[in-house]
Amino acid sequence: MSVKLLTHEVGSLAKPPWLVKTSAGRPLDDGDIAHAKAWGERLAVPAHEELVELLSGAPGEEARDDIARWSSRYAVRLQEQAGLDVIWDGEQLRTEMYAWAIAHAGGFAPRGIVRSFDNKYYAKSAVTGPVGLREPYHNAELSFLQSVAKAKLKVPVTGAYTLAVWSYDEHYGQGAGRLGAGSGRAAEIAARREFALDIARNVVRPNLQALIELGAEWIQIDEPGASTEPDELEVFVDSFNASVEGLDCYFSTHLCFSDYDLFFPAIEGMSGCRQYAVGFANDDGRELGTTAAERPGYGVIERFRNLPYAPALGLGVLDIHTDFVESAELVRDRILHGVQVFGDPERIHVTPDCGLRTRSWEIAYEKLANMVEGARLAEQSLNGSNTTAR
Amino acid sequence: MRAFAPGIYPRSDALVQATRDLDRGRISIDEAARQLAADRAALIAAQKEAGLDLLADGMLNWQDLFRALVEASEGLEAGPLVRFLDTNTFYRAPRTTGSPRLTAASTGDFIAPLPGRRLVTLPSPFAFARAAGLDPRTVSEAVLAPVLEVLDAELVVLSEPFLARERDPDLAALGEALESLSGRLPLVLQLTFGDAGPLLDRLAELPVDGIGIDFYLTSLDAVPEGFPKLLLAGVVDARSSAVEDAGVLAGFAARIRERTAGEIALVPNGDLQFVSEPVARQKLAALGAARAAA
Repeated sequence: MSVKLLTHEVGSLAKPPWLVKTSAGRPLDDGDIAHAKAWGERLAVPAHEELVELLSGAPGEEARDDIARWSSRYAVRLQEQAGLDVIWDGEQLRTEMYAWAIAHAGGFAPRGIVRSFDNKYYAKSAVTGPVGLREPYHNAELSFLQSVAKAKLKVPVTGAYTLAVWSYDEHYGQGAGRLGAGSGRAAEIAARREFALDIARNVVRPNLQALIELGAEWIQIDEPGASTEPDELEVFVDSFNASVEGLDCYFSTHLCFSDYDLFFPAIEGMSGCRQYAVGFANDDGRELGTTAAERPGYGVIERFRNLPYAPALGLGVLDIHTDFVESAELVRDRILHGVQVFGDPERIHVTPDCGLRTRSWEIAYEKLANMVEGARLAEQSLNGSNTTAR
Repeated sequence: MRAFAPGIYPRSDALVQATRDLDRGRISIDEAARQLAADRAALIAAQKEAGLDLLADGMLNWQDLFRALVEASEGLEAGPLVRFLDTNTFYRAPRTTGSPRLTAASTGDFIAPLPGRRLVTLPSPFAFARAAGLDPRTVSEAVLAPVLEVLDAELVVLSEPFLARERDPDLAALGEALESLSGRLPLVLQLTFGDAGPLLDRLAELPVDGIGIDFYLTSLDAVPEGFPKLLLAGVVDARSSAVEDAGVLAGFAARIRERTAGEIALVPNGDLQFVSEPVARQKLAALGAARAAA
């Protein structure tokens, strides 16, 4: 049987300037309209002329949702044209992975913007009372994408632990009582456990149930904050399990930019996770080669291979923090190394390290297209029609 | 009792927007620099209004605790993003490309001049070495010492986020590294965001003038009776959005004073950049009010 490697995106894509500006109430210029026209033609977005006409007419606030849906169509087409097997719209219809979820949950209050890295910032909130779901917050998005996508869909949903660890705690913890008390980590962990499990049960799980009822077949639980505190990994695992236990869907988890060794053995208890999408390229070299020495960023993958419930590994092969465009051959070699370690190509999926929202569409498209081409080269090698991989 | 605010201070919404605009080519470097200067002026005013005893520049152009020194050195480059403790903030781990050596002609690019008595925050040699995979003494001699040689400051705070989280840190190596920095300016090793309790007896032996402690994770009872050095008491929680009650802080400061023999300074328990600028400004005010009441 010939090998076919599944390729998919992981999360976000940059928002086009015409969406950013109209969302902020700023006027468009000719370059924005040219962007919409050029990408509409390049991606063969059906009826994209309607968007160009809409943007040319100085759209007001009433057009914002419509423009966001156009952006969603473009993002879908960008990924379909790049050749991905499984797609999403790169959060075109969301504010951002954290803010969108928090905005639809009760018990939180905004506390301003804080740095993520370099000149990148995000809006951070505090939990100030009991948390709950105001309304399912991805259903409208899924319904729309079901109507426009040709490729298979995967819904990314921000996980409970990440929502907890990325929030300030003004409700569950001890507050000023901690000062000089030496209660230390034990009290912090207990507070985080209660917080994360409340989010899992009262926010994430009912949201997942609503998506499944709507026809979602693959839901990716995004947990980029999972290894933030190594001594809280059991909280992460328990909150994942509380979110998905007993639900009928293909659940995967996205982890990134962590010391992945920390996840073991804790995630041995996460058998409801069928695939881990993990970023590795960020730490890898750029030279070709398939040996362990030539692929230093992938040293930990055998630990994912050895998990008792044999999940697939979404192998991150694109560094999303740089404009360096990985060649198809480099992608191929990263994949072949992964397959060598796993032994079973069915358990290797091919993905970027993380969402590509910090890259331009031009760079994101080139990276994704090369990723797909690299997967095809790897398939050729694995199927015996090409032996160029070292 | 004194109070001050070492570390990286958050940028205002206006400066965040300016840096975004600069990245996207919408404004010039000069325009971004003007907003940076405006932020710095506002921070100085906030510190003065709060009555803080030493001014800090807020390290507003530092992208993380290591970057400015990495960029001012040969033999080092900014490497992969690494999560900073339990925040959603990342730093780029310093990576060696040769023998590290500070090559900047002056410190003006990363330490801003201030109108008054000041402190300067630098990474601790242990933290820098751990992040870069170097020996702490190498960091001290090749990178930090050249900075100290030309600095004019009342106090140098060496920010140390990792030490308290190590199981068995090599304090002898750290001591050697600090020895090569000592003598010219008063030095404080501040253990940010961690329980310093198990290390405090040995930290008191290090060749520094003071030690900084995070009192949100360290028990006051862990501080040795009659602690002799300057104690930077981390009483404002830089990882929490809740603004502290100055009266509570002052009461706690009194308890510290009963226990220690050295001077005390009230500080945040780490960089205020982990809260937004409006929250940080309120915390500065609380810090100053606590100092006044203590």
